[in-house]
Amino acid sequence: MNRRGFFRGAAGAGLVLGGGLPAIGRRLCAAAAGPNLSRVEARHYVKLPDREIECRLCPRFCRLGDKERGYCGVRENVGGTYYSLVYGKVCSLNVDPIEKKPFFHFLPGATALSLATAGCNVNCKFCQNWEISQVRPEQVEAYDLSPEDAAARAAGSGCPAIAYTYTEPTVFFEYMVDTAVRARRRGIRSVVVTGGHINPEPLAELLQVVDAVKVDLKGFTEAFYRSYVRGALKPVLETIRTVAGSKVWLEIVVLVIPTLNDDPATIREMCRWIRSEAGDRVPVHFSRFQPMYLVRNLPPTPVSTLVAAKRIALEEGLRFVYVGNVPGHEAENTFCPGCGREVISRFGFTIKAMRMKKGRCESCGTPIPGIWA
Amino acid sequence: MAKARVVVVRSARAWTAAGDPDPAVIDRMLERGLALTGGGPGTAPAAALFRPGDRVGIKVNTIGGRAISTRPEVALALARRLAAAGLAAKDIFVWDRTTRELRDAGYSPNAGRSGVRVLGTDADGLGYGPELVVHLGVGSLFSRVLTELTTASISLAILKDHGLAGVTAGMKNYFGAIHNPNKYHDSRCDPAVAEVFDAPPVRSRHRLSVLDALTVQFHKGPSYHARWAARYGGLVFGLDPVAVDRVGWEIIERLRAGAGLPTLEAEGRAPGYLRTAERLGLGTFDLAAIETIEEDEP
Repeated sequence: MNRRGFFRGAAGAGLVLGGGLPAIGRRLCAAAAGPNLSRVEARHYVKLPDREIECRLCPRFCRLGDKERGYCGVRENVGGTYYSLVYGKVCSLNVDPIEKKPFFHFLPGATALSLATAGCNVNCKFCQNWEISQVRPEQVEAYDLSPEDAAARAAGSGCPAIAYTYTEPTVFFEYMVDTAVRARRRGIRSVVVTGGHINPEPLAELLQVVDAVKVDLKGFTEAFYRSYVRGALKPVLETIRTVAGSKVWLEIVVLVIPTLNDDPATIREMCRWIRSEAGDRVPVHFSRFQPMYLVRNLPPTPVSTLVAAKRIALEEGLRFVYVGNVPGHEAENTFCPGCGREVISRFGFTIKAMRMKKGRCESCGTPIPGIWA
Repeated sequence: MAKARVVVVRSARAWTAAGDPDPAVIDRMLERGLALTGGGPGTAPAAALFRPGDRVGIKVNTIGGRAISTRPEVALALARRLAAAGLAAKDIFVWDRTTRELRDAGYSPNAGRSGVRVLGTDADGLGYGPELVVHLGVGSLFSRVLTELTTASISLAILKDHGLAGVTAGMKNYFGAIHNPNKYHDSRCDPAVAEVFDAPPVRSRHRLSVLDALTVQFHKGPSYHARWAARYGGLVFGLDPVAVDRVGWEIIERLRAGAGLPTLEAEGRAPGYLRTAERLGLGTFDLAAIETIEEDEP
């Protein structure tokens, strides 16, 4: 089963969380029963003359007049004040294995209360969740879930972490930060799954309150980002560099798409950059593409391409390299860089065996980087 | 080759003493403009533009609230004109993105089963179609008002300066027919405006462009700023959507020049999507190839 299949399965199963709030799977855009929007003043923007504002949350720096929304579609200028329309307005909520994010070196086997609001600040042509990321908040059903309630639900559901995921959490920055603060008070971690399009100042604020960040590095050329992501590569690299230099755990996912970003030389250049700027211990996941959204004319990524990418990464000195979206592949497992033994065995999102003690290989004692407890 | 015809009808008496559009004057402006657009005085353009059984959508732009949206007085007068020309009132739909925006702009929504319908895409049972329309660079869901309720469309937009697009008029009005317009404002909305218009749900239905230029926001749009809003008192008509918007752009430039403002070109905000639209075969960009008829309301 591929990742999309897993997602469908999880959503379709209709998981019900501890407090009785139904899990919300993805929904196609339909008429809203009535817009359920927040009006919480946004952070990281400046007021300009003539009721204009400039958003400084992400590298787009949207400059907006009265009644206009940013590229993300979830932040609106009302009379010269900028508001988040999705604060506490959750359109997707599930209990997921943390491996699904994926985090492989962060609390393996744990579950994460995973939530999203509508919206995204890029428009990837291969988006897996476009029905919620590429829509305005009026176009999906949303439920009220305050930061305090989210933290309480995570605790009530036995989740040691909350994951801000599915869409682009940067666009619900205020809600994410406030939720992470309340979760931390309860001893619950926060993990962020992001495309990395966020400005340095809000990123610094975010890194104060979260515990792990997974960045989707969607390619390694500006041309690819311009054409297929509708964003820019440079700020994403800056985000990776900043997270790697912080105390927050970092993992990187690269979705490998046939013919679009699978050039071996470019992958080598990317891996070299990761090792140089983020270090050799950052886990890198090469994930399998499935045709969807606006890229339906390409086949799923051949497993051999992913394996080749992994080989390149290892040649460039990265130590923890995985193949994703290929359940049962041996490259889902973690191997000790000291003795070469398999220290974590996985199948899909399931942990089959752990052979580690206090973050070290059970056999040779080599420390395995990560957050293990 | 015949020139594309654009008709501009103006009136100094378009407003009542209370400051609202005068329905009687608006109706005469519409009558004159439609007649000239349809090929000459005395013709009945609705009869030529629409087939029996057509269900006609009048797409308005109400994002600017009461101050700077398509005036309901214009939209409803146009609907009455269509009815007078033989269309059943129940087959006429005045519509935009949301019921709230329509209401805020002064419309009285009517999503019932009789009379001229006035409704937002978010009305009960509507929304956006479930299938992505992928066309050139566009990947969008289209309003079911457009794709399911109507067979023909009139773009009845408000004419405004637009900080990103340069000009928002009849073609860009169809951004209000898709679920993700916020994703198409890069590069001054070029080529997105042209490509959305060229997408089958719009191109196959569009028959007529009318611009509400009673009040024109000629700077700092699309938001309303009284300082740069002119009571132009005009309605602009045409069958060629590119030509109509091109003339609309000229109106904005004249108002800008009168206020001592630089051209949109000089500000780096020229609406390049109009040239792109011409390249896509959607209409005429060159002013020399456009016959602009300017009349005062009789």
